[in-house]
Amino acid sequence: MKIVALTVNGKPVRAAVEPRTHLADFLRERLRLTGTNLGCEHGVCGACTLMIDGVPARSCIAFAAACEGAEVRTIEGFDEDALMERLRQAFTAEHALQCGYCTPGMLVTAYDIVTRLPDADEARVREELAGNLCRCTGYVGIVRAILHVLATQRARS
Amino acid sequence: MWERVGERGLSARSVKAPPFEYEKPDTLQTALALLAQRREATVLAGGQSLGPLLNLRMAQPKLLIDVRGLTELSACRDVGDAVELGACVTHAAIEDGGMPDPTRGLLRSVARGIAYRAVRNRGTLGGSLAHADPAADWVSVMALLDATMLVRSAAGERRLPAATFMTGPLSTSLTAGEIIVSIRIPKFSARARAGYYKFNRKPGEFAEAIGAVLVDPERGIHRAVIGATAGAPFVIEDASALLDRVQPSRLQEVVTAAGFIPGSYEHRVHVVALQRAAAKLQ
Amino acid sequence: MTAAGQRKGIGVPLPRKEDARFLRGRGEYVANIAMVGMVEVAFVRSQLAHARIGAIGKPPGQEDRVFVMTDLADVKSIVADSALKGFKSSAQPVLAQRKVRYVGELVAMCYGDSRAEAEDIAGLVSVGYESLAPVVDMFDALQRDAPLVHEHWGDNVFLETRVDDDLREIRSRAAIRVQRRIRTARQSMAPLEGRGVVAFYDRRLDQLTVYSAAQMPHITRAGLASCLNLDQGRIRVIAPDVGGGFGYKGILLPEEVCVAWLALKLGRPVRWIEDRFEQLTANANCREHHYDITGYADAQGRLLAIECDAVVDSGAYSSYPFSACLEAAQVSSILPGPYRMEHYACHTWSVATNKAPILPYRGVARTGVCFAMELVLDAIAREAGKEPYEVRLANLVPPDAMPHVNITGKHFDSGDYPEAVRRAVAAFDIEKWRKRQRHPEPDGRRIGVGLAIFCEQAAHGTSVYFGWGIPMVPGHEQCTARLSPDGILELRIGAHSHGQGLETTLAQVAQEVLGIDPANVRLIHGDTALTPYSTGTWGSRCMVMSGGAVAEACSEIGRRVRHIAGKLLEVAPDDLVLEDGDVRVAGTDRSISLAEVAHVWYRAPQLLPPDVDPGGLETTRGYKTRQDTGTFSYACHACAVAVDTELGTVEILDYVVVEDGGRLINPMIVDGQVFGGTAQGIGTALYEEMPFDTQGQPLASTLADYLLPGATEVPAIRIEHMETRSPLSSFGQKGIGEGGAVAPPAAIANAVNDALKELGVEMLECPISPRRLLAALAEARVPSPRLSPTR
Repeated sequence: MKIVALTVNGKPVRAAVEPRTHLADFLRERLRLTGTNLGCEHGVCGACTLMIDGVPARSCIAFAAACEGAEVRTIEGFDEDALMERLRQAFTAEHALQCGYCTPGMLVTAYDIVTRLPDADEARVREELAGNLCRCTGYVGIVRAILHVLATQRARS
Repeated sequence: MWERVGERGLSARSVKAPPFEYEKPDTLQTALALLAQRREATVLAGGQSLGPLLNLRMAQPKLLIDVRGLTELSACRDVGDAVELGACVTHAAIEDGGMPDPTRGLLRSVARGIAYRAVRNRGTLGGSLAHADPAADWVSVMALLDATMLVRSAAGERRLPAATFMTGPLSTSLTAGEIIVSIRIPKFSARARAGYYKFNRKPGEFAEAIGAVLVDPERGIHRAVIGATAGAPFVIEDASALLDRVQPSRLQEVVTAAGFIPGSYEHRVHVVALQRAAAKLQ
Repeated sequence: MTAAGQRKGIGVPLPRKEDARFLRGRGEYVANIAMVGMVEVAFVRSQLAHARIGAIGKPPGQEDRVFVMTDLADVKSIVADSALKGFKSSAQPVLAQRKVRYVGELVAMCYGDSRAEAEDIAGLVSVGYESLAPVVDMFDALQRDAPLVHEHWGDNVFLETRVDDDLREIRSRAAIRVQRRIRTARQSMAPLEGRGVVAFYDRRLDQLTVYSAAQMPHITRAGLASCLNLDQGRIRVIAPDVGGGFGYKGILLPEEVCVAWLALKLGRPVRWIEDRFEQLTANANCREHHYDITGYADAQGRLLAIECDAVVDSGAYSSYPFSACLEAAQVSSILPGPYRMEHYACHTWSVATNKAPILPYRGVARTGVCFAMELVLDAIAREAGKEPYEVRLANLVPPDAMPHVNITGKHFDSGDYPEAVRRAVAAFDIEKWRKRQRHPEPDGRRIGVGLAIFCEQAAHGTSVYFGWGIPMVPGHEQCTARLSPDGILELRIGAHSHGQGLETTLAQVAQEVLGIDPANVRLIHGDTALTPYSTGTWGSRCMVMSGGAVAEACSEIGRRVRHIAGKLLEVAPDDLVLEDGDVRVAGTDRSISLAEVAHVWYRAPQLLPPDVDPGGLETTRGYKTRQDTGTFSYACHACAVAVDTELGTVEILDYVVVEDGGRLINPMIVDGQVFGGTAQGIGTALYEEMPFDTQGQPLASTLADYLLPGATEVPAIRIEHMETRSPLSSFGQKGIGEGGAVAPPAAIANAVNDALKELGVEMLECPISPRRLLAALAEARVPSPRLSPTR
């Protein structure tokens, strides 16, 4: 067991973990933050994407013990976030989700796209989404939703 | 690719990593001492290649030594005719260009094509090189650039040329107890031109073929690299004949020399990758 | 009257009610369920495709945490027979018995306090195998001396079917005869969430409760009951939020039976969550078809006959409840589809091999059938020297022939198939592409255009399924509706929604009937204890069947509401109308709200006269369509591709779908189904493949090997709708959930073949991978790759 101290959704967390426990299992099983879904556990599907220190990361291939001092933000940590609220509204308006399983990871990646690449066009949005698989929507609504938020953001600035 | 992964798949029947110990030393010196002491340990950098292998139990180390965040491995500096990039620099940091670039953009564009942003945020240059997957980008690119790995162990320091660093699939000339500290990349001169072409089925997927070329007349370099081979990248040190006037038959020959069977799928796509890399020089 | 902008009933693209929880990470998938004292399961699976099992060694000290079939001796095998003549039965033991028949078959079950611990134990179990020669390819399986998957059969054929016809006269008369050998690869449905089970025993109710990632919970319960020798009432199956089904989650898995048994045995909650390796290699297999098909046509390309030998690789066992013969039996009945012809002959084989059982996947046999037929029609068009769409127009059933019974007896309820083709051709602007094809592309790629047409029989019932005699024959669908004391409408259905948006669309149906705001409608689904019986979600049936049942139940609630309100307002029930959540006296502004009616009924009955009907505000109503032959939606998919003949890659430049799903309940959700299905079809066409080596080892065990299309592989698909109402359903709606996944392989292959026709290359196998495409190009002796310095 290893003692790890980190911040999860703004709150300090201190816990003893088995070194082999990956971050997603730690969040899901220990903290009961089940919004982070596991789709492949080998880093390909993107369902478990969350923010570590402000940037997207795969929580299935990050070990909890290696997150000492890290700031982890899961989908639950975006409840009050204004930009995420705009993304949520766009996702629902554009029917960017069906079964909802990829959605938390997709939203975290979308959040990164609209903050890091404010000028992204459709091709760039699609390229940036390549690491998040969705089996339901054909990506049509997801791409539209992100482009919509990008356009509103540009119109504001 | 199926064959290769299928063989792996045979032994895999897990999704959770096997038990291991975990240490995160504060300094490189402590890390090296620990590594010297515990020869069965594996070094963990970004964990983006090791993580999946652990979850599938295809790697079963007794101890993981986490070197991520060691300041000695994160420094980047301009050393005159070259740039040294710390081994723990992430692909995303290279993509974003927040450091001296000896290649006038080649490193950035290659970085952007590695896996996905979420993986690039944690995956490191040194980790990728040490993992030595033939289909990964940096092993081929560093061979092309004639980079040098600065490696250190408790016993001392060595400099390993990138061209001979990788000895086979998932194997390198690193010996037990050694860690890559930094990668020294010579600077392009004013007239240098490079071309890189990766063929993969989808963005972010491993390469089916890689072609890379560098022409730097002031430094007398006319180099080509065939990557995503069965093992180490195949370096054509003097590719001037190949690059001055691109001839299909010559390309076919070098790809055959790189170990591909003429007429095979792999042969064809490697010829095209090399040809398209060369075309980028025009 | 509701203002036009406020309408929330049928036909409105209402945003989904279920989105709120998913967008905040509050979906409740089975893996999210944890219970005090819960243990987790990992399975030991066969590493060989065909072997006799010797001793199984349980690790010392862990014997009580490892179970093999002899420990589960009282558990029955999974059997899914068909009543079709000649069908050979397979019994799938829930843990292997004596013999393993595919890689990944369950051999032992282990549990630990965590999944990791369970895997540690599983890694220590030793299994002695005596390997047998495996039979991996379906054609090898048909050879006389082939190893036998089930020895007592004497061969490897689950079922052989035959539609005979005398084609001698056609053969001599047909000016065009095209013969093709066509194949679709084995695939995985690959929903993003895998299967999963949490089971526990409720002592008070003497009931086994099973949370399962399932799309047919009542059928799962029936299957579990029969394997575990329990009354169905002693089992409750709950399908919580489910992360995509696509057919895979309709199947009873041996894992479900094992985990349920263990929960009973231990008296503790037990969880098993399928991992991606298990899903890809051992469980979610589908689609492997082979066709030897001949099309006969006159010189103008008018179809005279189709003759086909179809072989389906059914894998090792017949899966519950759809059986091993669903695919091949469907092939023979649906192959002609909406095309008219004089003669038709089809011979099918469902073949057992040492591979994972094949399961029905979105579109089921239609994807293979469409691929075979549409490739043949394009070949006929090339022979006839016509545009492929002209050949379609010449052969599709015209609208004035509707309703139409085709050559295999399929009853087409409605539609204008030629119009779908004309609209697709127009929307797609085929002339623009033909013009572009005349000039070389600057990047050296070749442009091609292709189209494909299919029909999707949905919500078909007893008369269609009875003939197959599989364990589950659908007949009707039910809904329980209850107007609560606060005026909230609860709807309960036994089907399950796992992405289709039924929580929204069925509320829209209720709005249409009762005038209630969809926000005040709650759908309870997927729980055998809380919902009426249902065969579940499959066959694109829910919008027709559950939608019809909801309409029936709401009509009855409406009748009772009007009765009570009539007493309160002292008018005849017939003078009352339901709108905007109110009961209004027609033509006046006198009204009472639904909530007030419900309040009086439950809480203030003193306000009602003694002669009020005590029937109440809760009812269960059943529904079946006017005729159970199914609604027929259909579509024409058209696309343009650019083929890189040097690397063998295909890029989709434009993709148009003209779809007729009858009356659309929620057009936004319908589009979502079509987009998503089309993306899956693109995966089938170009990327997805589960290859096996000669020893039966599956070779794609991760998502790095099994390629699912991502945002860069799926183009911005365009959809146009036609809305020919079905005469059979409540509102004219038709099932459309699967169709998107049917046509893309055919449309894309036809486009690729159009691009490559001058090179003499015709791709007849999907996925059209670079490896296959370059091999075909090499075979056609294309000059070696041309250098293109512009790249």
